[in-house]
Amino acid sequence: MTETLRQINERRRHVTGGIGERWRALPKWQRAIGILAFVGFLYYLPLLGIPGLTWFRTDSIPQGNNWAGVLFLCAIYVLVAFGLNIVIGLAGLLDLGYVGFFAVGAYSVALFGSTQSPVVEGLQNRFGLSQDWAVAWAICLPLAILLTMISGVLLGWPTLRLRGDYLAIVTLGFGEIIRIIARNSDWTGGPQGIAAIPGPQGAPSPDNEIFGLIDAKPWYWLVLSVVILMVFAVRRLENSRVGRAWLAIREDEDAAAVMGVSGFKFKLWAFAMGAALGGLSGFLFASRGGFIEPTQFSAQLSILFVAMVVAGGAGNMAGVALGAFLLAYLPERFRDFSQYRTLVFGAALVLVMLFAPQGLIPSRRRARELKDRAKEAPANV
Amino acid sequence: MLLEIDNLTLRYGRIEALHGISITVGEGEIVALIGANGAGKTTTMRAVSGLRPVATGTVRFAGEDITNLRADLRVIRGICQSPEGRGIFPGMTVLENLDMGAYTRRDTAGIAADLDRVFGLFPRLAERRKQAGGTLSGGEQQMLAVGRALMARPKLLLLDEPSMGLAPMVIQQIFEIITEINQQGTTILLVEQNAQQALSRAHRAYVLETGKIVQEGTGQELLTDSRVRDAYLGVA
Repeated sequence: MTETLRQINERRRHVTGGIGERWRALPKWQRAIGILAFVGFLYYLPLLGIPGLTWFRTDSIPQGNNWAGVLFLCAIYVLVAFGLNIVIGLAGLLDLGYVGFFAVGAYSVALFGSTQSPVVEGLQNRFGLSQDWAVAWAICLPLAILLTMISGVLLGWPTLRLRGDYLAIVTLGFGEIIRIIARNSDWTGGPQGIAAIPGPQGAPSPDNEIFGLIDAKPWYWLVLSVVILMVFAVRRLENSRVGRAWLAIREDEDAAAVMGVSGFKFKLWAFAMGAALGGLSGFLFASRGGFIEPTQFSAQLSILFVAMVVAGGAGNMAGVALGAFLLAYLPERFRDFSQYRTLVFGAALVLVMLFAPQGLIPSRRRARELKDRAKEAPANV
Repeated sequence: MLLEIDNLTLRYGRIEALHGISITVGEGEIVALIGANGAGKTTTMRAVSGLRPVATGTVRFAGEDITNLRADLRVIRGICQSPEGRGIFPGMTVLENLDMGAYTRRDTAGIAADLDRVFGLFPRLAERRKQAGGTLSGGEQQMLAVGRALMARPKLLLLDEPSMGLAPMVIQQIFEIITEINQQGTTILLVEQNAQQALSRAHRAYVLETGKIVQEGTGQELLTDSRVRDAYLGVA
């Protein structure tokens, strides 16, 4: 059985390995056209009606979820994966509590933007404001990013002196702490959560024509646009001085230190930047939902986030995007097997790790590092 | 004195690895630390570069007390280490590795000039500039590690076992380059197991045994010293 699987994998590697090479060999204008066509297709995706391709829609099955809604969630997860990829893929820090940042971002817009949140009510009473007053959505956005960055630094400051597994355990705790605080505090709305979270057109209401409660398409397009923006932003970051420092730390922290790279400072930066993206996605998630409660931010979601990055290909943005998309989309499309869903899901992840240990679309640089480490291991015996 | 190490002790957990050693390195010198495996040579080096915290004693560089300074800030002061063995970045190309050496610098013209200088010293690296560090041979990696440290344009270059695992021909070559670098004006502190080469190249040297300095003198003195010859030079 394993032999057959191995053969299949060899064939897969043969086929997919060549795609990257051929793609990079294309002239620039052809690649640009290819990318534009692909982006156009992504914008068209919620309307997908091409005969044959409608099979991919999640509402093509009985009790399937709204297609645009699923796409929205996929896009949110891609954004999350980009953020977590900075931490895991670029800086090489295993963060198992990333859901904490997602939650901080979501709660930021809920606590300051919803007229029903205890924080806003407190502010109304304190300053004698009207019952309809709340912080505007557009102001909640930078606020959410700022607050998550601060929480990233707060988490990183004491913990980034730890390495490897120790860091993973501490961050796992962080995610849980955020969720438990949200559940057990009065000012977060406790287990009931918070409703009436605003969107770009203000508090949720049937009058909101574009970003309403029913139609998810505009929300998907919004998040997709943010994702595309972030592709450029993270690319730039990756090739900046900060990006080079991350790379150096990931490859050899001691060597980086004697080149003048402060490991602590740049790891803190990675946490802050990663957190900012996590917060941004949490913010958009909460805006669309209009309602959040603590159980939406379980540790299980953290593990799913890590799985998206690792299975997709840590360090490669196309890889983590694919990982995020598949892990969000597949369980929705194959709801029919709902009772076996987790089983199939687990088996699929094991297969990916067995046959593509560096992810579906591996980062070429990380592949070299892994190869080097494998070479080093026997030498140490 | 450019570097003064005074009565330095250092611990790994509860085990004391260095028992109060004192070393000085003057401007323009090559100073060698020789000794057997586990004598504390590399540990001393890590204390100077800032990778290991010191228990007691002081490290002074150009008159400034740097005992508790972070490693990355010591690079800015002018100390750069070429780490032991395979301390290069395996996923980066040769050029990217060398670029990392100049991380703390912003003088583009100076960096370009130093890159030419490194490629002049190690033509082999120039040939392989686009190749990933991890795919180089042991000797090429060693050259890269030295070259990368030079890119920081250090006042004091720390070389940790530059000959480790290399073929005799390459060892000879590396040491010739070390002398050349020194003649171009860089002070060098060298840790070596290859005592013969190290002593014949160094102005002064210290012999380390189980965390203590047991002998010091000029390179020539130690080369002819009977105890050193018996213990480290393999001359019967």
